[in-house]
Amino acid sequence: MDVKDILKEIKGNLLTLVGGKFEDLKSETKQDVQDFLNASKEKLERWTLFLANGSITAEEYKWLVESQKDLVVLKGLYAAGVSKIKLGHLKNTILDTVIKTALGAVLNNNNASGNANA
Amino acid sequence: MKTRFYTVYFTALAFLLTTSCISLKKTVFDQYSYQKGTEIKVDALRLMDKASTQYSSQTAAIEHLEAEMAKIVEYEKNKPENKIGYAMWKMIANPDKKFVAGFLKMWKENGTVSPVFIDQAKGQVTEALDLILQYEGKKDPAAENKLKQILGLQ
Repeated sequence: MDVKDILKEIKGNLLTLVGGKFEDLKSETKQDVQDFLNASKEKLERWTLFLANGSITAEEYKWLVESQKDLVVLKGLYAAGVSKIKLGHLKNTILDTVIKTALGAVLNNNNASGNANA
Repeated sequence: MKTRFYTVYFTALAFLLTTSCISLKKTVFDQYSYQKGTEIKVDALRLMDKASTQYSSQTAAIEHLEAEMAKIVEYEKNKPENKIGYAMWKMIANPDKKFVAGFLKMWKENGTVSPVFIDQAKGQVTEALDLILQYEGKKDPAAENKLKQILGLQ
């Protein structure tokens, strides 16, 4: 297995998961993708070295490479989940503000009619 | 006129609070999931350290860990609005994916694995389980309290 080919495959899968071309991603996502690719490159080089000097078997090397690919999927699930949570938080903040404003309006209205009746 | 105004306002409020409840349900932090996930992470990493010895010598501990993983997968499966958490745990417990169950499968098939491999695989498993724990941690523990405050229950 060639490190470059594996990295290319990981990058392709990662981009499919986050959706779109690398250039079109938001800077935060772009940084995440780049960090993951850098970490993957460093790991693959290390594992290739371990394989070459006999510290790990070919089967163990394959397992590790596949685990890095599985991590891409897990990372994608995590990113999707966090986006959903962020949306939920935003929605709650908006609702909180709307409710406070509505309550404020109702209470002010009550006070005003109370004063008028007095 | 005033009655109509209040009717509209309270109907709108009731709708907003109901919608708010639904969205909060999706994001509430689950202490059990977080605690169980942490326990599984610690147990798995400790067990992986023993994988340079024969698989058959650790059967009891392996079966215990497999049972714990099966329990959390079942728990996550039945949690409402939790497709992502469930999918993440399913990967950890799937022997064909290269995380905890996948490591146990490799260990079983080979009898033992090399110390360098154990060290590297532990890094991968740690990263995977940390993602699950961080995902749970991102959920807002204060969300439920906030709703109770708004409703005047606190």
